[in-house]
Amino acid sequence: MIPAPFTLRRAATWQALPELLEDALPLGGGQSLMPLLALRLAEPTALVALRALPGFSDIAERDGALWIGAGVTHARIEDGIGPAPLRDWLSQVAAGIAYRPVRNLGTIGGSLALHDPAADWPVALLALGASAVLRQGDTRRVLPMAQFLTGAFATALQPGEVIEAVTIPIPAPGTRFGWCKLAPAPGAFADALAGVFRAPGAAPRIAVASPAGARLMPEAPPPDDPHLARLRAVAIRRAGA
Amino acid sequence: MTRLCVNGETHDVRCEDRDSLALVLRDALGLTATRIGCQHGSCGACNVLLEDVPVRGCLVPAALAEGQAVTTLEGLRDDAVMIRLRAAFTAHHALQCGYCTAGMLIAARDLILRGRAGSAAEVRAGLAGQLCRCTGYDGIVAAVLAAQ
Amino acid sequence: MVAMDAKGWIGASVPRREDARHLLGQGVFAGDVTAPGMLELAFWRSPVAHGRIGAVTRPAGVYVAGEIGPVTLLPAGPDMPGFRQAPYPPLAEEVVRFVGQPVLAALAATRGAAEDLCARCEVEIAPLPAFADVPAALAPGAAVLHPGWADNRYGSGHVKAGDVAGLDAPIRIRRQLGLGRQSAAPMEPRALIAVPDRRTGELVLHISSQGPHVLRHALAAMLGLPESRLRVVAPDVGGGFGAKNRLMPEEVVACALALKLDRPIRWVEDRREHLMAGAQAREHLYDLTLHATRDGIALGIEGELWVDAGAYALWPTGAFAEAGMAARNLGGPYGIAHLDVRHHTVATTKPPMGPYRGVGRTGACFAIERLMDALADEVGVSRYDIRRRNLIAQLPHTTAAGMTLDTGDYPAALEACAGMLDLPALEARRAAGEKVGVGFAIYTEQSGHGTTEWAGRKARVVPGHETATLRMHPDGSLTLLTAIHNHGQGLETTLAQIVAEELGLHPDAIAVRHGDTGLSPFGFGTFASRSLVFAGGAAKAAAEMLGAKLRRIAAHFLQADVTLVDLREGRAWAGAASIPLVDLAHAATMRQERLPPGEPPGLEATADYCPPEDAGVFSYGVHAAVVRVDAETGAVALEDYCVAEDCGTMINPMVVDGQVKGGVVQGIGTALTEELRFDAEAQPLSTTFAEYRLPDAPSLPEIRVLHLVTPARSTVHGAKGVGEGGAIAPPAAIASAVEQALGLGMVVTQTPVTPRRVLAVLP
Repeated sequence: MIPAPFTLRRAATWQALPELLEDALPLGGGQSLMPLLALRLAEPTALVALRALPGFSDIAERDGALWIGAGVTHARIEDGIGPAPLRDWLSQVAAGIAYRPVRNLGTIGGSLALHDPAADWPVALLALGASAVLRQGDTRRVLPMAQFLTGAFATALQPGEVIEAVTIPIPAPGTRFGWCKLAPAPGAFADALAGVFRAPGAAPRIAVASPAGARLMPEAPPPDDPHLARLRAVAIRRAGA
Repeated sequence: MTRLCVNGETHDVRCEDRDSLALVLRDALGLTATRIGCQHGSCGACNVLLEDVPVRGCLVPAALAEGQAVTTLEGLRDDAVMIRLRAAFTAHHALQCGYCTAGMLIAARDLILRGRAGSAAEVRAGLAGQLCRCTGYDGIVAAVLAAQ
Repeated sequence: MVAMDAKGWIGASVPRREDARHLLGQGVFAGDVTAPGMLELAFWRSPVAHGRIGAVTRPAGVYVAGEIGPVTLLPAGPDMPGFRQAPYPPLAEEVVRFVGQPVLAALAATRGAAEDLCARCEVEIAPLPAFADVPAALAPGAAVLHPGWADNRYGSGHVKAGDVAGLDAPIRIRRQLGLGRQSAAPMEPRALIAVPDRRTGELVLHISSQGPHVLRHALAAMLGLPESRLRVVAPDVGGGFGAKNRLMPEEVVACALALKLDRPIRWVEDRREHLMAGAQAREHLYDLTLHATRDGIALGIEGELWVDAGAYALWPTGAFAEAGMAARNLGGPYGIAHLDVRHHTVATTKPPMGPYRGVGRTGACFAIERLMDALADEVGVSRYDIRRRNLIAQLPHTTAAGMTLDTGDYPAALEACAGMLDLPALEARRAAGEKVGVGFAIYTEQSGHGTTEWAGRKARVVPGHETATLRMHPDGSLTLLTAIHNHGQGLETTLAQIVAEELGLHPDAIAVRHGDTGLSPFGFGTFASRSLVFAGGAAKAAAEMLGAKLRRIAAHFLQADVTLVDLREGRAWAGAASIPLVDLAHAATMRQERLPPGEPPGLEATADYCPPEDAGVFSYGVHAAVVRVDAETGAVALEDYCVAEDCGTMINPMVVDGQVKGGVVQGIGTALTEELRFDAEAQPLSTTFAEYRLPDAPSLPEIRVLHLVTPARSTVHGAKGVGEGGAIAPPAAIASAVEQALGLGMVVTQTPVTPRRVLAVLP
């Protein structure tokens, strides 16, 4: 199928963005959105391409955290960004998302903003204690992942607001991270996802995919389907909990 | 009008914002090497290069490719890796009906250029999401290993 | 690059000439063809599985049934009185019978605009009961899907031989088994463009089809056109596997509208349409009882099987071949003398069933091999040994269902396949607690079957012959014209090898053209593992005729006896004297005065070929799957896959390997991942490749293939068909391997063997 007609706008400045977004959907890499449009499951009248926004694909270490611009692609993360061992953890997560040509355009911010309950980044970033930097014009606010991810296909984003970046605290020495994705095939959407973060001297932080989106254990609601519930328990264990 | 730079040539094409790059390459520019197999990014038949990086042509609005170099299989005729791949694909019977071939070649070239074609297992992993319904993939894997 | 070995071109792995154009992206598929003034077609399809159509609101440019021009529906299914008719209307007329059925046709300048028109249509549909599966359709009191039917069966049949009831066998094993519903899913969905040619008055249809001549016959009849005014061109076709060999509503609508509007009309199927409304396949249910002796000798099979054929019968055969073939093949390669199997072809509110690689036999193989595994477990012998005990040892052998298995050595193939594996190492791993297992399955593949077989099935089209024209041009180059179709099988190369062998030429000297009713003689196209046997036979016969004429002319030039003239290396030889064929060609076409007296000019031969054994020749093979099962997640990983197969003489072993491997991987999809699922209201749940998962490279091992070669007695060069065999045995082999890995008896009864189903059978 061909998407229903839409107008494509290009955001060049943060200041102009809220107005452009008034009757439109934001477009990151488009790798999740375009299939939905092609099936006419969503019929927005306008899309706003975000990738030309200043700093949208920046990567930096600031204030003890890794700043990953929302427009950074999965492929760039797969190939290695940030300091070890975070670098390897992020690479492992990114490499399991879809296929390389999709990862070349798909972005971390887009994945987070959509918050598909089977998506990889929301779970991984929740486990890693990341925050979302949200921006509307010149106004910024920073939300911890647990507050940003409000439910399946739902986030704390306000109208006119987009994700500018994700920040991930640089882990202390001795910290470990385990990741398990159970999917029908490499690159397919997950049946179960679990990320386990262990900082020295702290209780492990366990994030999983749930019917309500990415959630921390133990409050994550169990899948309705006993098969998926079983797989989630396996994923949690294999991630090193 | 959308201005596209494809295989080193600039074209002003009439298209709608909703039209995918794959559709415009095929219908407006007659570059039919780029095949459409699923329109949701799952099969890889529509792979093209955007700034030398493979992407799914069905998942990029053509208008967003403005200002970026687009390369299709037609534009890789004289590419050194592609010349080796073509010979290896024939020698190893890596294609039957030919419909997935352009996308497969573009994915395979990328694996070789990124140094991710060191073993059969690595090539198989790298070809995730590149669907071929005819060959069973053995010939493709052997050809990619032979071409690097 | 390719050396002609001592035997000549037969048996040489000649690289395929087809490759070059595809590797440069220069293949031409139907969806690549455009024409000035073209309109694009899109369909408004039924959103409900069964309902009565009421008011229709639609914008201009949208057509309802009755507005597309006169269309005559054709009877489909076997030509026998008991088979109920359910012809498939190009656009639904009062009633819709599956989700995805075309109801309205929209035309616009672009496909997007045509879909926009569809989005503005409103169709009232009063719901009627849906039948999402065979039990629902056959439930007592179920409404009938088609007027005048007594129940929801297209028809039933009975395969009976011997006397199962009278066996009084000590071992009886009853099992219910199921094979999932599938899509052939070629990488190129269907596509077509119908173009009125004002010069010739023809309607030219470029279409992704496996058989353009037969399609033309049906389309012309439906549209009321003389066949002489309809030209069907199947250009490069991106895979077929059966899915592009039936008359479908979309081409009827496109052609009718092209005639009505006198404009080119293009329709390109998208993947969602293919998975929702393309021909579907498989979905068998079995309830069978195997009768055997205490030492594990299988004697007879009784029971019933049902095929979910969907809402309509596709022209020409409907789905009847599926059930009948499954029943007749239930004995497999075993000497089972008693059969008593009733088979039913059932209508449901799902898309119509078409053929798919392995037709009937993938299910039959799954059923008999599962029963053999159960028998082995029951009598306490290994699953390998039970096969050794029961395999037909002496060929030829006429089965209980009347098929004559012609040549080969089945026990040798079993042993050869086992020899490809390190079974002790596997056993050691199992002893160490690894959940690994091996499973064997054996199949036979009827191929090259002709008049007797198809007429016996009451087919409306009896593909019992094939014709080829071989033309030598004045410069000595050659063109072979044939009506089979090559969509990956390498026939442009292998048919050239056959002609080259006959005429002592290099294959490159012979152009092969196919897929165009405007070019080649009539023929049936490519399906049923028939093309190499039939078209190869016709090509060889035409080459023989042309060769005879070349020898006569050469004898005249060389002043030699014609019986002493030999064709090789592009020349005609008589002893040490020779003349280039090009000189003979030139004389025969441009300089007739040089021909021997009485020799008519021209160098063209047309030959028809019917295989002498027209009940078919049987390829066969043994598959072994090695799997590792994750007992926590139910995931099945294939570690190794081995095939020992015999398809007679191989014309091009490289091409044979490709056919086998490709077929096996499709069978692996049947076994593990591919399933068209529906909910209780018959709403499709698998409409993208995210839900209908084809195998891809990371999930597969190398497919290892060993060839045993027993030439057929009667075919050209002793070749047998090989297109389908690979796809037949994998579900059976993999199911058995999964059970061994888990240390279980025969508990896997349904394909695909998904993680859910694996976990469900764990104690």
